Amino acid sequence: MSALALELSTIGVLMRRALNEILRVPGAAIPGILAPSLFMLGLTGAFGALTELTGFSTESYISFILPVSLMQAAGFAGAATGVNTVRDIELGWFDRLYLAPTPRPALLAGIVLSAGFRALLPMTAVLAIGLLLGAHWPGVPGLLIAILLALTFSAVSASWTVGLALRFRTQAAAPLMQASMFIAVLFTTSYAPLELLTGWLQTVASINPVTQVVEGVRQGFVEGVSFAGTWPALVVLAVLLGLTFAFALRGLATTGR
Amino acid sequence: MTAIEVQGLEREFKGGVKAVQGIDLAVGEGEIYAFLGPNGAGKTTTVRMLTTLLRPTGGRALVAGHDVAKEAAAVRRQIGVALQEAALDPLMSGHELMRLQATLHGLPRAEGRRRADALVERVGLGYAKDRRVGTYSGGMRRRLDLGMALVHEPRVLFLDEPTTGLDPSSRAAIWDEVRRLNDEGTTVFLTTQYLEEADQLADRVGIIDDGRMAIEGTPAALKAQVGQPHLDVCLTDGANDHAEGVLARFGEVRPGIEGVHFQVTLAGGAGDIAPVVRALDEAGLAVAQLNLVNPTLDDVFLAETGRHLEGDQDTGEVAALSLESG
Ligand SMILES: Nc1ncnc2c1ncn2[C@@H]1O[C@H](COP(=O)(O)OP(=O)(O)O)[C@@H](O)[C@H]1O
Ligand SMILES: [Mg+2]
Repeated sequence: MSALALELSTIGVLMRRALNEILRVPGAAIPGILAPSLFMLGLTGAFGALTELTGFSTESYISFILPVSLMQAAGFAGAATGVNTVRDIELGWFDRLYLAPTPRPALLAGIVLSAGFRALLPMTAVLAIGLLLGAHWPGVPGLLIAILLALTFSAVSASWTVGLALRFRTQAAAPLMQASMFIAVLFTTSYAPLELLTGWLQTVASINPVTQVVEGVRQGFVEGVSFAGTWPALVVLAVLLGLTFAFALRGLATTGR
Repeated sequence: MTAIEVQGLEREFKGGVKAVQGIDLAVGEGEIYAFLGPNGAGKTTTVRMLTTLLRPTGGRALVAGHDVAKEAAAVRRQIGVALQEAALDPLMSGHELMRLQATLHGLPRAEGRRRADALVERVGLGYAKDRRVGTYSGGMRRRLDLGMALVHEPRVLFLDEPTTGLDPSSRAAIWDEVRRLNDEGTTVFLTTQYLEEADQLADRVGIIDDGRMAIEGTPAALKAQVGQPHLDVCLTDGANDHAEGVLARFGEVRPGIEGVHFQVTLAGGAGDIAPVVRALDEAGLAVAQLNLVNPTLDDVFLAETGRHLEGDQDTGEVAALSLESG
């Protein structure tokens, strides 16, 4: 088999294993669906009136918050991949992967990309609930861009948390994985536009690169998609994916040995 | 050619635990080598270094001609590994796992499927291949794991305690498979806590204790070092005063209970048993019980380390022959 074919089929079997797990233990998906859905419902209930302030690009708060929930769903799915990786390390499953002659990036890619599968169900649930409750229909391009960006974010989240898993090698790191993703999405323009944020939150949100991604996912739901609204998100995701993947790859190559 | 060549191999863990403290060994192509030692001796640590899972902190090791630290990928292509805890995804079936393993080792899809089919049959799991591994017994898991280690037809096979915790029939099934693989030319490096396993399977045994090689050799040579086979003779009560004289013809005699029990070192080995029985019979001496006592690897371990091998249920003596006569 050619080297590329070997790498692709390795990625394929690892993704299939993850899909297999999702399908055979459907109950495990429930927290990943509930958390972002409840987050969306809770915030809409509490802060729905915020959109009456000037500065909001929409008068529908659920349209504003639905994209954030999509990002939360993607981030949690990535973190679940990290948590499962700890379990796989403890079970010795990782030894099986290490013992394969496949190049390490292919092993990691198979694991990281499978986060996309995990994200699909929660993202669908969030979209369905949000649209039912009156969020603006983003249009097909807006929807596709939102899904693409959120799925890529799940891979970023998975790379980051798998990197943590490979370093900590214990279930005790699970809250760190989940919290880091929660915070990464929350400390952005998640609640309100940047102009309306104040103090440290405004500073953090304006520095936090995830803000660009949240805005990119959000554009179709609040005003309509544009190239100018999309490319910063793509650039940020490419850089984040590169950095977090390298972080995980380093963990794969050096730690626990 | 040597399949495994190890010089001064060491591993110190963080916190200063020296699990392996300078091991030298060489395993020839086509050999079965058993690494025998109690829990905590450093067997797993050694196997993990030889299979590229753990970096040595000292010394070096070549497996199939490649350095485990510098040419890990080349080593991985040549070795099959079944670790102490068989890592199997309980949600997948035996056949699915076998196919996954084939893909991980670079077999094209059709060939992988063919190998997977052949191997589940070979390890006797054809009847359960579509069942989830979560429902398998310990013996079935071990056999599946062994089969998975063979999917890319490795030259050198590493088995870390392949039968620990298995019942005798599962153990025998693994032993048969290991012998068969070895007959086909695979070099086998296995670790075990079981004397009998090393004795039965291995061409050579290295006894490891506390991270160091205590002694190494063929099972026969190791046992010969600690003693000769001898015969325990128990006679029925009676006028046995000439018994010692009769037995002395066969070797050195040590009387036990006066006139009833004797130990004879058999100069001619086990082949002397029948002549001894005949000679006693001709002298009118009635034998109550006869035991051939062979030195065991436990005796070797005891002689080298001053301790018995723990975790082994063997009585220590192999009663090859025990007969009652009137
Ligand atoms: N990751 C580790 N960190 C620290 N000590 C370890 C680690 N792995 C093994 N050890 C220690 O090294 C010694 C040898 O362990 P091991 O190789 O597993 O022995 P065996 O396989 O012969 O039972 C033991 O004292 C064990 O506690
Ligand atoms: Mg061990």
